[in-house]
Amino acid sequence: MSADAPLLLIVDDEPRILSALRRSLRREPYQVVAVESFREAFGVLESHSVALLLSDHKMPGKTGLQFLAEVAERHPRVVRILITGWMESIPQEEIDPVGLWAVIDKPWDDAELKATLRAALEGRHAQPAAGSEDGSPGLPLQPSRPLR
Amino acid sequence: MTEASGQLARVLLASPGERGALPRCSQALQGLGVGLSLEVVRDAEACARALSVGSAQLLVLDAGCASGEAAEMLEQARRVGMPVVIAALDSGPLELAYWRAQPVAACALTPSELAVAVRDSLESAARAPVSEPLPSSAGILRSLNAALLVADAEGCIFHCSDLAAAALATSTQALLGKPISEILESAPHDEHPLWRSLDEGESFEGEESVLLRADGRRIAVGISCAPLVGEGGRRGGVVAIFKELRESRRMRGDVLQREKMASIGQLAAGVAHEINNPMGFIHANLAQLAEYVVDLRQVWSRVEALQAAALEGDGARVRDTARDLATVSEELDIAYVLSDLAKAIRESQEGSERVRHIVQDLREFSHPDSGEIEATDINQCLDSTTNIVWPMMKHLVELKKNYADLPPVPAYPMQLKQVVMNLLVNAYQAIEQRVGRSGETGTIEVETRVTPEGVEIRVSDDGVGISPEHRERIFEPFFTTKKVGTGMGLGLSTSFKIVERLGGRLSVESEEHVGTRMTLLLPIESIRVAPAG
Repeated sequence: MSADAPLLLIVDDEPRILSALRRSLRREPYQVVAVESFREAFGVLESHSVALLLSDHKMPGKTGLQFLAEVAERHPRVVRILITGWMESIPQEEIDPVGLWAVIDKPWDDAELKATLRAALEGRHAQPAAGSEDGSPGLPLQPSRPLR
Repeated sequence: MTEASGQLARVLLASPGERGALPRCSQALQGLGVGLSLEVVRDAEACARALSVGSAQLLVLDAGCASGEAAEMLEQARRVGMPVVIAALDSGPLELAYWRAQPVAACALTPSELAVAVRDSLESAARAPVSEPLPSSAGILRSLNAALLVADAEGCIFHCSDLAAAALATSTQALLGKPISEILESAPHDEHPLWRSLDEGESFEGEESVLLRADGRRIAVGISCAPLVGEGGRRGGVVAIFKELRESRRMRGDVLQREKMASIGQLAAGVAHEINNPMGFIHANLAQLAEYVVDLRQVWSRVEALQAAALEGDGARVRDTARDLATVSEELDIAYVLSDLAKAIRESQEGSERVRHIVQDLREFSHPDSGEIEATDINQCLDSTTNIVWPMMKHLVELKKNYADLPPVPAYPMQLKQVVMNLLVNAYQAIEQRVGRSGETGTIEVETRVTPEGVEIRVSDDGVGISPEHRERIFEPFFTTKKVGTGMGLGLSTSFKIVERLGGRLSVESEEHVGTRMTLLLPIESIRVAPAG
């Protein structure tokens, strides 16, 4: 993995999940940075050029979706993906305005996860408009799961 | 029915005829001073026919009848409650003993004895209370020991029983003429069984529902209602009988079960999430471990090749395979694979241990009561309950436990856990309401202590608090301020009853926007066990 590989930032308050995600993405072409809190995540976002952001939903204090909405405002070019075992409990009208590339189910399927991330990255390159005025990264090419 | 009533007493005389004592019998009976209409029946068949026409006051059975016939007629008489006099004018002692053993009014040996027996029998029948005319429908309705409501086609109440008025905390006069909407909640009530009977013609039996008392309180009722069918089968209103649910043990059980299921639904969501996280990484780790095995197989095949070369003593091949082994190991980063493989297994083991704990907690929490009051470790009950509720609330709540050393307390542990669960879920929801999506968290404190009165459990939160007008109603069944789907409003009323049954107390202190403290006091000894119903 070269130093100029795109940076994938993962946020989850469960260190074992971070560890497993790293493992899953070990041979993928990203530099993976994994943090356990939104505060740390903002630190990374501010100091690094983050390509992809994968966030857990159920986190202490606020939800991953709220966090991603803030990221959409402050760092609109970052492609945002939510990972959650709890998708059913998130109202669609809350998901829609955040402009997510995809929502990934927990537990995730490795192949699907990799495919979604790759597609997200390609989509980002293929569509420089990604992260347009409204911060939406554009339509997903191959979301792991259709956004209802 | 003697002469006085203007009617003749109908007497059946069962006799085989001349072979028997028919002439002497009829002569004796005709000599009576009582007006009677005598009908002679020759056998059981004729007797049954005579009885099918109408009832008779007396059966005189000639002992000369064939024994089978006689037995059958005795049975017929017994069935309709008609007294029997045996005319045993020619019977020998053995036969007499037989007749006397039968359930008969008298056994006459001579015509004059027969006359006396028949007269006595008829007179005693006449003295028996004369049955009065059947009461009118109004009388029946008045006597009905049930809460009855009848409304006309417009839904106006035109009949209600005293019990119905009492259950609705009003009087029958006040209810008459009122529209039934007055006893229904202002919520959309076209779903109410009363309306559905009235409008749709549906019938309900024991439907759980809510009625509104005159003082504005809601009561849980089981209601049976049906459209009122008037003359000519036209529907014109509704007739309903209802019963407050707290009075019906079976129904209460059903409702409690539902409430329990509602809270279990909330908990299940939290528990599922708690299991899902470890499952997530165990699942991913297993997939990775499978890949590591493939990598290691590749290395192992080189190791075997190396071994074969070494055994053959082929130095050049040994060097080649060793080089190959080194290349493959480096390509596959086997050093990392080996260390991470151990780490992945360790982490997965930790994850499965976590799942095992959660399942254990669930089992402990749901362990059914023995049905007896048990010496219960309250602190352990609290731990088992907080373990279950914790996953649901941990993202919004800091939980503080402050337990004292407690003596065992007589209680039903499962019911007690249910009460504590209700209190914790309420506390959590109060915090949820206060902090909303602000990112703030709240605190729930669970304390136990021993007081002179018993053991006290306190659950305090810094949630929204309860307004004064709600505070006095929180223990009412079906009172809820929560949105639909988060509870039926039975949590605290159920808790209250459970605690009461243990001779304990459940009380509330609350201030709006500051928080709520629920205090549960359980006596350590001398429980007054109220009947479970």
